[in-house]
Amino acid sequence: MNHLNRRQAIQLLGMSGIGYLLNSCSSELTTQVGDLSEPLNQSFGELLVKPQLLIPEFAKSAIDPKALLLNSYDGTPEIDRDKYRLTIDGEVKFPMELNLKALNQLPQTSIIMQHVCVEGWAAIVQWGGFRLRDLAKIVQPKDSARYVLFQSADKYTESWDLASALHPQTILADRMNGQPLPAENGAPLRLATPIKLGYKLSKWVTKVSFVSQIPKGGKGYWEEQGYEWFGGI
Amino acid sequence: MNNKQPKKSSPIPPQTNFVKILHGLIIISLFIMIGSGLQIYNATPVFGGKSGWSFPKWMTLGDWLAGGRNWHFATMWVFAFTLLIYGIYIFLTQRWKRKFVSGQDLKALKIGQNPKRRTYAWHRIIYTGIIPVLLMAIVSGLAMYKPAQFHWLSGLFINWQTLRTIHFLTVPISLLFVLVHIIMGIRAGGLRLTRSMFQP
Repeated sequence: MNHLNRRQAIQLLGMSGIGYLLNSCSSELTTQVGDLSEPLNQSFGELLVKPQLLIPEFAKSAIDPKALLLNSYDGTPEIDRDKYRLTIDGEVKFPMELNLKALNQLPQTSIIMQHVCVEGWAAIVQWGGFRLRDLAKIVQPKDSARYVLFQSADKYTESWDLASALHPQTILADRMNGQPLPAENGAPLRLATPIKLGYKLSKWVTKVSFVSQIPKGGKGYWEEQGYEWFGGI
Repeated sequence: MNNKQPKKSSPIPPQTNFVKILHGLIIISLFIMIGSGLQIYNATPVFGGKSGWSFPKWMTLGDWLAGGRNWHFATMWVFAFTLLIYGIYIFLTQRWKRKFVSGQDLKALKIGQNPKRRTYAWHRIIYTGIIPVLLMAIVSGLAMYKPAQFHWLSGLFINWQTLRTIHFLTVPISLLFVLVHIIMGIRAGGLRLTRSMFQP
């Protein structure tokens, strides 16, 4: 009896040891699994993004305002609309700072799309604003520009591939479901596109930088914590 | 009369090592897909949304949402390509004609009197039935992975909630099939049949 108990105890010890080992290794292993598959998944995502291929829009009746949940890592920043400027800089021929009045002069567009959150929920929303590619036409990115960095008033950061940023359905929005964009949804300007996950769609955007390389640690707020960089859907 | 003799020589369908490897890969990748899938599920439960019931931590893989996604989107390639290779294999070797459920099995169930033949027919129905469930997991998963680029595919699933529900339901359904498959395998050919699928 005693002997059996000791054997059981040793077995249990061994099992919990394996469990402990698995647990301490698992986060390391999880990161490695991500690093291993990410290049393949990214190539797959990039392959699908075609500037001439538009994602079909949803019907107006499909808009579901209640489905759009509010996510933000640090509340809603206070922004004075009169003092607000959008800075566009980096590898561009004409860096500039534009106020809301100037930005309103850009051709307006709108899109009814599915906003897909990495957390698994989705909402059909109508966003209105101007295309990022129309802004790019004014500042004229140089050939060296390969990525676009976005900075927000709440210090949230994002980085995108150039092709997705210049996709005709990628917009900087100041309207939501036909109404002025509410502060908690990213006013005065937020990113919107049907081809990226929600965490790529920065709210309260204050700076757009065209760059040739993503600076170390600058992939984006969530990406630096483990979310995939490309985030294409 | 030596009644041990016929037992020993009862036919066990021979499996190639190739099929045994694919079978093993499907088992491993299926369980990684389920563990990491439940991790992703917990970020926003399919039933009840943010306030819905979520799975206990021990059932999930990857520590948190991003880790679960790492496992899910790495293993999906293994899972999908193993099934694809298996599909090509059974097509090229003409196995699809003999190895899966057929009219013969249905006939055996309808009018057959031999209980062993009937058990075997059920066994074949179950392991054939797993395949469309696994394929549905892949198709609905792909529709959720790239809902915008594959809008023609995700559009077939009516809406996001229906798509998520169908993708999730492939978990309990495939687990049920696995369980019944194990039981039917043992009933049809004993542990000897089960072992023949794993031993090189």
